[in-house]
Amino acid sequence: MAVIHDVMPAFELFQPTSVDDALALLDRYRSEAWVMAGGLDSFDWLKDRIKRPKVVVDLSQVKQLRGVRAAGDGLEIGATTTLTEVVSHPLVREKYGILMEAAEAAASPQIRNQGTIGGNVSQDTRCWYYRSGWTCYRAGGNICYADTPTAVNREHAIFGADRCVAVNPSDSAPALIALDAKMVVRSSRGELVMDAEDYFIGPGTDITRMTVLQPGSLLTAIRLPATWAGAQFYFEKVRDRQVWDFPLVNVASAIVFSGDRIERARLAVNGVAAHPMRLRKVEDAVRGKPRNEATANLAGELAIEGAQPLQHNGYKIPLMRNLVKRAIRGGDGTWTS
Amino acid sequence: MDFLTWGRNPWQQQILTHVSWNLLWASLFAGIVFLVAHASYMVLSAHRKRTAAETDAMEAARTDLPDRIPRHSLAARMFHWVMAASMFTLLFTAFLPVVGIQFAWVTWHWMAGLVLTAAILFHIVHATFWMDFWSIWVGPSDIPEFKAEILRELGHEVAGPKPGKYPLGNRLYHLAIVFAGLTAVGTGVFMMSRVRTPFFTRDPYLFSDITWGFTYVMHGLAGVSLVGLVIAHVYFAVRPDKWWITKSMLLGWVTRRQYLQYHDPHRWVVGSKPGERARRA
Amino acid sequence: MADYKLIGHNYQTPDIVAKVTGRAKYAEDYRADGMLFVKLLLSPMPHARVRNIDASEALKMPGVHAILTADDVPVVGPPARGAAAAEEEGPGRGRGAAAAPPKPNIKPELGLTNEPVYQGEPILAVAAIDELTAAEAIEKIVLDLEPLPFCVDPLQSLRPGGSNARVEGNVFVGPEVKTIKWTDEDWKEVEAGRLPLRDAPDNWNVGDVEAGFKDAALIVDETLVHQSTSHQTLESRSCMAYWQNGKLYLHGSAQSLAHVSQSCGNWAGVDKANVVLVSEYCGGGFGGKNPETAMHMSIPALLSKKTGRPVMMRISREEDHSIGRARPGMVMRAKIGFRKDGRITAMDLFIVQDGGPFTRAGDYAQIATVASANYTPLNMRFRGTAVLTNTPPRGPQRGPGGEQSMTLLEPLISKAARQLGIDQIEIRKINAPITGSAFGPPNARGNRAQLTGAFAREALDKGAALFKWDERKQRSGVRRGTKVTGLGVGLSNFSAGTIGFDGLLTIRPDGKLYIQQGVGNLGTLSVFDTARVAAETLDMPWEKCEVTWGSSGKNVPWSSRQGGSQTAHANSRANLAAGLDAKRKLQEIAAKDLGGSPDDYDVAKERVFRKGNPGRGLTFAQAAKRAIELGGKYDGHELPKDINSMTAISATGLAGLGLMGVAKDNYPRRGTTQAFVAGFAEVEVDVETGAYRILDYLAVADVGTVLNPRGLEGQLHGGAIMGFGHTRSQHWVYDQQYGVPLAKRFHYNKPMTILDIPTVTPMQWAAVDIPDPQTPVGVKGVAEAAVGAGSAALRCALAAAIGDDLIRRTPVTPAMILESLEAGKRVDRGLTSHV
Repeated sequence: MAVIHDVMPAFELFQPTSVDDALALLDRYRSEAWVMAGGLDSFDWLKDRIKRPKVVVDLSQVKQLRGVRAAGDGLEIGATTTLTEVVSHPLVREKYGILMEAAEAAASPQIRNQGTIGGNVSQDTRCWYYRSGWTCYRAGGNICYADTPTAVNREHAIFGADRCVAVNPSDSAPALIALDAKMVVRSSRGELVMDAEDYFIGPGTDITRMTVLQPGSLLTAIRLPATWAGAQFYFEKVRDRQVWDFPLVNVASAIVFSGDRIERARLAVNGVAAHPMRLRKVEDAVRGKPRNEATANLAGELAIEGAQPLQHNGYKIPLMRNLVKRAIRGGDGTWTS
Repeated sequence: MDFLTWGRNPWQQQILTHVSWNLLWASLFAGIVFLVAHASYMVLSAHRKRTAAETDAMEAARTDLPDRIPRHSLAARMFHWVMAASMFTLLFTAFLPVVGIQFAWVTWHWMAGLVLTAAILFHIVHATFWMDFWSIWVGPSDIPEFKAEILRELGHEVAGPKPGKYPLGNRLYHLAIVFAGLTAVGTGVFMMSRVRTPFFTRDPYLFSDITWGFTYVMHGLAGVSLVGLVIAHVYFAVRPDKWWITKSMLLGWVTRRQYLQYHDPHRWVVGSKPGERARRA
Repeated sequence: MADYKLIGHNYQTPDIVAKVTGRAKYAEDYRADGMLFVKLLLSPMPHARVRNIDASEALKMPGVHAILTADDVPVVGPPARGAAAAEEEGPGRGRGAAAAPPKPNIKPELGLTNEPVYQGEPILAVAAIDELTAAEAIEKIVLDLEPLPFCVDPLQSLRPGGSNARVEGNVFVGPEVKTIKWTDEDWKEVEAGRLPLRDAPDNWNVGDVEAGFKDAALIVDETLVHQSTSHQTLESRSCMAYWQNGKLYLHGSAQSLAHVSQSCGNWAGVDKANVVLVSEYCGGGFGGKNPETAMHMSIPALLSKKTGRPVMMRISREEDHSIGRARPGMVMRAKIGFRKDGRITAMDLFIVQDGGPFTRAGDYAQIATVASANYTPLNMRFRGTAVLTNTPPRGPQRGPGGEQSMTLLEPLISKAARQLGIDQIEIRKINAPITGSAFGPPNARGNRAQLTGAFAREALDKGAALFKWDERKQRSGVRRGTKVTGLGVGLSNFSAGTIGFDGLLTIRPDGKLYIQQGVGNLGTLSVFDTARVAAETLDMPWEKCEVTWGSSGKNVPWSSRQGGSQTAHANSRANLAAGLDAKRKLQEIAAKDLGGSPDDYDVAKERVFRKGNPGRGLTFAQAAKRAIELGGKYDGHELPKDINSMTAISATGLAGLGLMGVAKDNYPRRGTTQAFVAGFAEVEVDVETGAYRILDYLAVADVGTVLNPRGLEGQLHGGAIMGFGHTRSQHWVYDQQYGVPLAKRFHYNKPMTILDIPTVTPMQWAAVDIPDPQTPVGVKGVAEAAVGAGSAALRCALAAAIGDDLIRRTPVTPAMILESLEAGKRVDRGLTSHV
């Protein structure tokens, strides 16, 4: 069979208007259904004819999935809220500035207008071998084309390579982990609320998925607790160009001070493993320490313990170290702009 | 049912990737069907065994034999249990994720695979030089025993040969394990070049795509076969009537009575000379 | 400077409303009754032979009308190249090939192939009622391919025992492809990160470089890598075809109208007289949509013939990555000797070029030519090896060779300046050419081309003042927190004009001036800018001018190609000639009707009138009527003998409609026209992450007379941004195990976006505004020199920030900077093309 890309295959399109209807559809079609939010990831797969679902369930008409609302003393963000809406929401900007920064660092203005927060955290990896449609581990095969003696793997993983060396490309994910966000996952069996960091899975657990979402389940909302609202935040993303580029590495941190000492901190890094990494060891190590260069250095060094470079991505180790350092120390010298 | 799964390489050629995991269910199913069938048969059949009186007589005649007849040396037993542990590790790490219990299994799998490989190498050397190498093998000379055993199974009194040290079923099982195990280990060692290990640079291009496809299929076939074989093995090991064999694998010896009851003393000669273990016709 | 009413003034082009409102029709916007759609089956292998194609299942599908394979495509050579095409590319470009008749011993590129030589080369096409059906049909085709040896890295092809990209060999030697392998010693040098200075198939020499090096106070000797970059025009090369009365109508995306219209029938086996090319808008060409590369238009053309229906072939982004052309990458060893005062005594360039699977591609030779114009070295040697690889076809891309030359060499000049303690502006000025300077390779008689006009020094001075160079350079290399600032200047040049094309216009009884343009509308505005020269000549208000463009069926003249930055120069001359021809005819008609001699009459304000007595004259409308009455040469029934046959056909089509101005550009020119652009950039590098930003950019152009300031700004900045992409982020990555591309999508190959441009102040520009002395009106082209200025200025600014020795390849990514800063020395991946 010859292969052709760039023509979307036919599928049956459903546009449910409620979560229950959506779940009923997902339940009915299980693995034959594809969930689509903003479509930025979906259309790539569909147009390339690599993923061939029988049914596409488009969530754009489900109003209850969209919007930012106060929930208790925190916020609840509907999964199909666009990144632009997240970025511009006054409460996000006021209390969860790190999410605003992270969401704004994603992709391009056009993509942020269409792309959703749920899609941003649930998107598939951009490994250019995997995305070519070849049967690698992640596609159910038995090889990683990105980790061979001749592979070009500048943008691949330095941690947690379990056969597959793809990385999670999300910018908002580390910010959500730093904010201790809760992910609300629903299926016909009920609702599951989990910590953001547990939403993401590595290749060891399941090499074909990046999140816990299984056929039949849906990320419906992301809840931001008040725990870290208004903390000292730091977010930085390093990339090749300023726009429409996935992170080489990004970092997000939330720190609460007690006097001049770090009372508690949460940190996460993405672009270094198949899932965003929460840096618990760093969080523990900096607790009670003053915010200074020494603490920052300690954090940086701890963060990269155990990192294993591939042929082309050795730079990610110092990059991650320095970003973590900054996430503790704070930025030093902003861009002239 | 598909027996094989296919994928595409970067040249869009069809490549073999695995056996279909349907085969796992098939093997499991086959193992369990065998188990149920055998158990039912054992309950219902007229399997002919040596009577207690016969055995009493033999025991009286062979008072020269020690109470405990050594059956498995310490080394052999250690091999067996190390192999068993690694085999279980391998099978669980291989197939639990397939059935939906997901965890980071790869490192455990190849480490267990290395243990198994080492154990098998040891066993080959050990069996060649220190054990009765041929006692476990099956050959044309086993045909009389095969006939006799079948007849016994059918309830007939047959004078013909009784098992030597290892019953024929046991030896046939060993043969199957040898094939499946060596295939799994032989392919598995090369498959390690496809994952990250501390031993060498990961190189998935060691073989051509076609060779790799074949390698994965062989490994998969061996793996799913082992599932069935292991089920059968465990089944026999825990059957009360075979418990004495299992016990011997733990303790290393059988009682004189067990020796005389289940074996052909002419084919498994236990003499005053421990070294005299030649297989006899 | 002359007191022009139109030239040098901003205006609104007649196509702009359609463009910004989306009403402009690009090739794929056309629809016709019963139209079929085409999808292509691309080769999955980098090099293979088609053993069998089984399309039986596909052809059985309802809605599938036809399949086209290589067996249906006529085997033809490339279209004949006129002298102008060779000249456009400047001296030195493809010189080795030019010496011998280009009869390569390898199969040329056609629309479809049975021996694909790169992954992505089209093997067959299916026409069906819609694209979905066509795609599903392609999936039903069983293609049996025999893989052949391949190579996607030019150095790997030269490696002892390395494989050849073509069965016939791996390197162009003269017109033929032959096999060249380097020795083990050579290869040891490559592995040590340096090209061996050995013999090469193409070379030229001026003076004595060895003697020059003896005179040098400083010798810089580096091996550098420039990646290939695909053109990535926003409009892909889609095409629609239909036949009417034996004529083939093609709606395509062509950057040149007249020239492409003459070639595009070639690959479908159709004579140029029977082809009408419609291309009103071209969404970017960058050198990739010129006559040599229209072979894929034959696919819808032949399928339309086969099915008797109009056929649309929409080319996807991925397909365009394959067939849409690319700039050749290269590895270059440059050895440059400097006197204490910075003057270059000797320059020795040894280049290995990745030319893709079909053509020599002239970039490597152009590198040396452009370098010789930029630096006028006292002694110079060029040695080049044009290697074939199994990667997409290369072709000229905006500043072909010029961009690579400046991106790679300018940082070496900067390094030398730092080592010699000379200011960056000064070292460039002391080496810069002046009007009349000789450059490029010597011809058979030992003569070299001379620059018609060169005001590079003026551009550098003007830029230094505007950019406040002396003030800013104090902070160059200075660290503030984690950021370090870098200041860079890059001088660049490129060919900027050809001669000898035709102008064609009519003044009609409605009083309007109709200017026919065979120039393509590729976004440079030159199709309108150069028309304004004719209007200026006749003192015609722009509102009364109609520019006719966009279809070879609309009676357009033989205009220059849109390549080699020649349009502004060539067609300002041609339209001047046509304008003056019309003016003369107006004067003659007036003299006939009103007495006196033609010279007694002047033309202004839509009238021809007696000098000193403006009341005595004719309006243009009256004169047009008279011209029709007079016939003959006045209304186009008699034509000059020296115009091109295409112009003659078009003029005949317009004959009798009004007063015709038609003439060939016969203005003399001594020398070769090159434009110069000096780029100035300030960057900030974050030493903890390797990330960097361009804070500020200024381009100053020696472009002769400014035709259209807004258009010039667009070219200088657009070119610079393209250049930034080359230095900064554009990726060309192949997997070497399978020879297949990885960076196919925009988010992988990363051309610059509008949000990547300098943020501190808007990008600035200026022009020296000295007319070129060897052309009337004084206009030169500039679109290409602008690219190298941007890339070189950025590259030099980076070197100023982080040091001269950390980087030796493009693109300069944060990863590369950080890794090298971390190690305290250059860390790269050797000389491979793919990182």
